[in-house]
Amino acid sequence: MNTRWGYPVPLCRARAALLAATALAAFAATPALAAGTRAGTTISNTATASFDTGAGTQNINSNTVDMLVDELLNVTVASNNPADVTTTPGATNQLLSFTITNTGNGVESFSLVPNAGVGGDNYDPAVTSIVIDDGDNIYEPGIDVVYVPGSNDPVLNPDAAVTIFVLNTTPGTAVDGNRGIVALVASARTGTGAAGTTFAGQGEGGGDAVVGLTGASGQDDGAFIVASANVALVKSAAIADPLGGSEPIPGAIITYTITATISGTGSVNGLVISDTVPANTTYVPESITLGGTPRTDANDADEARINAGQVVVSLGTISGGNIRTVTFRTTIN
Amino acid sequence: MRLFVTAALAAMTITPAAATQVALTNSVFVERVSTDGNGNRKVVLEEPKMVTPGDRLVFVLNYRNASAKPAEKFVVTNPLPAAVQFAEQDEAAAVVSVDGGKSWGSLAQLRVRTADGAERAAQYGDVTHIRWAFNQPIPAGGTGKLMFRGIVK
Repeated sequence: MNTRWGYPVPLCRARAALLAATALAAFAATPALAAGTRAGTTISNTATASFDTGAGTQNINSNTVDMLVDELLNVTVASNNPADVTTTPGATNQLLSFTITNTGNGVESFSLVPNAGVGGDNYDPAVTSIVIDDGDNIYEPGIDVVYVPGSNDPVLNPDAAVTIFVLNTTPGTAVDGNRGIVALVASARTGTGAAGTTFAGQGEGGGDAVVGLTGASGQDDGAFIVASANVALVKSAAIADPLGGSEPIPGAIITYTITATISGTGSVNGLVISDTVPANTTYVPESITLGGTPRTDANDADEARINAGQVVVSLGTISGGNIRTVTFRTTIN
Repeated sequence: MRLFVTAALAAMTITPAAATQVALTNSVFVERVSTDGNGNRKVVLEEPKMVTPGDRLVFVLNYRNASAKPAEKFVVTNPLPAAVQFAEQDEAAAVVSVDGGKSWGSLAQLRVRTADGAERAAQYGDVTHIRWAFNQPIPAGGTGKLMFRGIVK
């Protein structure tokens, strides 16, 4: 018997590896679905032959072999937050974003399960809801639909993807620098398991559903980082009496210095330093300084003003690592 | 080359197989690779009813000349199913087409026109047909086997 190979059988490992490499390269050049041939497709193969046994050219067909393409169950989950998302203690509706991609070859619905207890972090964010994006990759409360397991599981065509938002509340007990991880797990509704696990007859198009290399389940982590800041205020007083000494006698000038030290990786908003002019002293007009620079008493564009006997300095938003120094003077009555 | 083109055109008019005395039988096997407890790789060929993307297929064509006369100008053509990617060829034994059977040659000889009008060397993924053209007649009673490999896209 004659045997002619379109390609010699690759029995040796090196040859098999070469074949795999060339096959991959060829795949990359083929504009086909990444997920492969659509489940339910019938692959038919028929060969033809022509020959001449003396009565002119004749043509024959071979028999036809049909194979049904099974559904491969594959899915990937990818976090859309490459860097930690900053949050603050007690903050609500803190968003993490994930992309779920059906890398199988059939239409499939996927269940979504968040897991805030994956470990390797400092605190567990409280997952409050999962929201299915409407396609613009922007979280829109009231427009994007809240996910209800088993009720509106995302249904994805092969190669199709959907963005999922996971909303969290940051515990009030979390402190500056704490990290909290939330994982999102997407699993094929048809079933999951080790690669090769088969669900007979449950594939799209009537074939089997076969678990692919992803195990028909995907997972990725998103993380929050708590960025908060604290303010420490220190007040001191220096007295200069008219005699050149430092005795608290009438006519002596008291210079008060208030130092605000902001610490932490976050920032404080709306920081206001206010101090009541002490009894039995009289405020020295236009004596406020901020960072050594005079500020006016009037309620105007600068940070400082006198309001009902109080020195008020509105510093606004200051990030951690900064120091603000306010001084003002009074005269002892 | 002229001979091949003529044969391709002729192949379009199909004579019922029963009226001829040369038979061509087509079998497709899938290579299932398993590893036993001792780590030995075992390759099993199965005739599949169902396949999944990435499955490696072996196409086997058995021919037999049942007539009393030699079959001359014997040419076997297998159009590749659209969902199958050609795996590799032995250039000495077969020619391929990357344009639906219009022109033939070894893969290294063939070129493909890209969408932007340029040309590039043909790749495995471009192959649309595989063909064997015999120089020698198949003797009366002669049999043989042709094979090629593909991967489910």
